[in-house]
Amino acid sequence: MTLADLYQLWNSAWPAGATMLGLGSGFAVVLLIASEKLKVQVDPKIEQIDGALPQIDCGACGFAGCTSYAKAVAEKPNLIGKCAPGGPETAGKIAEILNLQVSDSGAAQRPIVHCRAHAEDKTYYGQYQGILTCTAANALPTIQACKFGCIGYGDCVSACKFDALHNIDGLATVDYDKCTGCTACSKACPRNLIEMVPFRHENMMTVACSNRETGKATRSMCKVGCIACGLCVKQTDLFSVQDNSARLDYEKYQPNEQAETAFNKCPTGVIIYRGPSAPPPRQPKQKSAAKTASA
Amino acid sequence: MKINTKGRLSFPGGVHPPESKDLTCESKIRPGPAVKQVAIMLSQHIGAACQPLVEKKQAVQAGQLIGEADAFVSAPVHSPVNGTVKEIALQSHAILGRSMAVIIDADPDNNPPKLPCSEFKDGFDENKYSAQQICDAVREAGIVGMGGAGFPTRVKLEPNPQVPKETMIINGCECEPYITCDYRLMLEWTNQIVAGVKLAKKAAACSEVIIAIEDNKPQAIEVMHTALKTHENGDNIRVVPVKTKYPQGGERQLIKAILRKSVPTGGIPPMIGVLVQNVATAAAIAEAVVTGAPLTHRVVTVTGEAIANPGNYYVAVGTSVGELIEFCGGVTEPSAKIILGGPMMGIAIADLTTPITKTTCAITVLTKEQIGKAKFAGRQTPCIRCGRCLEACPEHINPTKIAHAVKNNLLDVAEDYYISACIECGCCSYVCPANIELTGYIKTGKIFLARQRKKMPE
Repeated sequence: MTLADLYQLWNSAWPAGATMLGLGSGFAVVLLIASEKLKVQVDPKIEQIDGALPQIDCGACGFAGCTSYAKAVAEKPNLIGKCAPGGPETAGKIAEILNLQVSDSGAAQRPIVHCRAHAEDKTYYGQYQGILTCTAANALPTIQACKFGCIGYGDCVSACKFDALHNIDGLATVDYDKCTGCTACSKACPRNLIEMVPFRHENMMTVACSNRETGKATRSMCKVGCIACGLCVKQTDLFSVQDNSARLDYEKYQPNEQAETAFNKCPTGVIIYRGPSAPPPRQPKQKSAAKTASA
Repeated sequence: MKINTKGRLSFPGGVHPPESKDLTCESKIRPGPAVKQVAIMLSQHIGAACQPLVEKKQAVQAGQLIGEADAFVSAPVHSPVNGTVKEIALQSHAILGRSMAVIIDADPDNNPPKLPCSEFKDGFDENKYSAQQICDAVREAGIVGMGGAGFPTRVKLEPNPQVPKETMIINGCECEPYITCDYRLMLEWTNQIVAGVKLAKKAAACSEVIIAIEDNKPQAIEVMHTALKTHENGDNIRVVPVKTKYPQGGERQLIKAILRKSVPTGGIPPMIGVLVQNVATAAAIAEAVVTGAPLTHRVVTVTGEAIANPGNYYVAVGTSVGELIEFCGGVTEPSAKIILGGPMMGIAIADLTTPITKTTCAITVLTKEQIGKAKFAGRQTPCIRCGRCLEACPEHINPTKIAHAVKNNLLDVAEDYYISACIECGCCSYVCPANIELTGYIKTGKIFLARQRKKMPE
């Protein structure tokens, strides 16, 4: 290639290069002006709040994800405390960012399954053959004798994003070490068995039954159901009997001697502990061979 | 309204399951068992549940009001027997699980079996009763739609000035396999049904009435036709045969077949000026208006290959399913499934203490063979995209798409594909070669949606 050839090539190429350069700088100027003129003011607080949130997008707050909750809480500070997995700690951080004082929002909420019947404790009138989800099985309610107890097909298990719920021998069982308290399970249960309870103590006492049948009917349906005998009510006023089922007042609950006596006296052993280091439940006082069930 | 006259009246879609009606179609309506105890559900209808009006150990008479609710959409319940109230307790219910019921011990000496009403002769004159009188009598008698849905009839009948009803269709199709109670009613209680039709026509102020009967019941068509001729003012009442196909008796399908009109999705027939009533409801209206007797008994078909003596029985509401099956000779072959209603739309029950309600038209007992081995084992195979469910669907929705959306928890997709339009007729599950429980998934999806709406009121 001679020098003349190179010169000719340069002559034919430079206008194209110059045009591109010109266009590029022109657009750069337009973009620069646009970015200045159309600037969107982002509240730095939203970013800070977003950073304080656990970023697991569980949806317990009722918003689509952590970012949308951050936006909402920056606008309406009364939404503080809706983040269940974050708990009081996150609420405190958000309050700090928003310069607010938050009173103690209480203990972290954790789910309690109000049923303790495993497959061998329950009575079945028939064999279910339909779709294996609790919601579908609940549409044919006469199969399982107890219409209030855990169905055990695991709608709550599939709703849990943290692998904190397992179906152990026909009963949904919470793994409190993994649970973040996001409330997904309590929303998934078609029989509303899972209640969110403030865990003021490491282990909470509970009456693990939701049955509203009379004592006699309950006995015929379940070995470990609450028969509403009222023995626990006689021990302490923490308990009350409503609709043929005993209930514990979780707000007032303190681990004390009377509660322990109620735990020991319960004839069907339906008063149990739930929590990360819960002692095993007592077996019902029946001669029938109730197998050992671990909580 | 103009009636479609082209060919055999029908709708697009649907299936032809084996009818199996020959088991009971010749069996005359006989009185049911003399019950020792009845359990009257306080919720036997769509709408507010009743509050009990009686107490434990109180003596009650047959026909006495025992439960009532103030709500407009509701129907009172009455005692079918003389006896004493044993208790008001939870009782098994096919859909609600456990529901409150008044349990009455029948007096063994003072309970003659209730016989069908014999008041009705040819030439019934409905002009003796005013429209208001008819509506009140229907309300007091606690009449609900007896085809299965259980919508309070008074609410349906009462004229609404905003949506005047032009046409009333009396549904005598009985498209479900096995069931013959409406067929026997049409043959045996013909005059009572005609009287009921005339009363309902007057109360609802309809200009014309069409009695629709599937053409596999030529005898019923003939009998109804002759009966209408003998009655005065029967000019605007016609018997129209429709094609035998499932679900011809669904009200939306029936309207489509006869009037070539579609009821809007999510709407009800009165929106297009049509009212659909079951023949059994018509019979109950006649009895309630003329004799003032409340709805305490109904005709139930007890059928299925596994029943010793299948037949049609006039039984007290509140009789337990087990007692009725025993009365029919019990089960002979190894039965596998007891269904309240027919095999297509009925609900399987496992608790034999479940009582008969006003809406139970049949008890069908199926054997293991009939259900099919694959279905019995719950064996589903993946969808092969054959499209048979789309062809069979009478509502022209896409069952497989919706079922998969529900399975994968994509409720918004299910809604986009009109899950709410499903009438739960079961055609898709019936034709599915992969044994997928399409209707089951759609039903489940509807429950999910209802719950979601409840949880998020905003």
